[in-house]
Amino acid sequence: MNTSNPLLIDEIGDLLKSGVTDVFNTMFNLNAQPAELTEIRGDGDTLVAGSVGFVGNVNGVVYIYLRAPFARKLTGLMLGIPEEEVDENEMVGDAIGEMSNMVVGSTKSRICDAGSSCKLTIPSVVRGQHLNTGSVHSSQTLLMSMACDSELFMIELIMQPTT
Amino acid sequence: MSHKILSVDDSRTVRMIIQRAFRPFDCTVVEGANGEEGLAAASSEAPDLIILDITMPVMDGVTMLTQLKANPLLKDIPVIMLTAEHGQENVANIVKLGVKDYLVKPFKDEQIVEKAKNVLPLQPKPAAVAA
Repeated sequence: MNTSNPLLIDEIGDLLKSGVTDVFNTMFNLNAQPAELTEIRGDGDTLVAGSVGFVGNVNGVVYIYLRAPFARKLTGLMLGIPEEEVDENEMVGDAIGEMSNMVVGSTKSRICDAGSSCKLTIPSVVRGQHLNTGSVHSSQTLLMSMACDSELFMIELIMQPTT
Repeated sequence: MSHKILSVDDSRTVRMIIQRAFRPFDCTVVEGANGEEGLAAASSEAPDLIILDITMPVMDGVTMLTQLKANPLLKDIPVIMLTAEHGQENVANIVKLGVKDYLVKPFKDEQIVEKAKNVLPLQPKPAAVAA
């Protein structure tokens, strides 16, 4: 890990994957591991995407895309209630937002420990079948897939290039 | 002796997790969704322990804690801080606030219970009520 210069996007990507593994293990008792990149956006499934940004010496935003049934399952696990009791809108939105906050929060801590400073934005959650992000052409994008219990989900990291 | 715990977090998910964690114990968990509600609840409910998130809208955890410490009636209520950020600088800042302890998210139920047990003599819920 490069500790004397701002972290590169690949390094932050590795931190994010590690953060996801940690959060899934702690909050859901599930094993999530990096997987071969597989695009799940635009295949017709309804997705739930949690998003948290970080602003400071390092600027970027993280999206975590989950298929809706998987997001519902994770919500039930996080709250300790049966899936049928999960309120699709309010509970899933709050749970996935909090999950995203935890993942990016742990990543942000390691970014700061490496010498860069940044603050987190408030989490947001969107739902839809054709989710797409756009960014200014000077930004860098890193897409990653993770697998958990035969479910695939995606992480997208968009960053301003570090100077 | 039944204790009262005040849980202050803007995330309903986290508040539900804390409710669940303390359900087996002889205590009541009351809630606030931001620092302003937390202060009001601290005054009206006289909790034995406050579990307080840092980042919240309306009034954040640091501001709420500062106002708690400035109130002679509330300043001695022990506080456990919750944070999603476990960087060295953040932890150092939390320690300076005069909290009893802190816990980094994500956390397991037993972790927050363990922290609370260091502050309160929590007992299992009486058998007749536990079911």
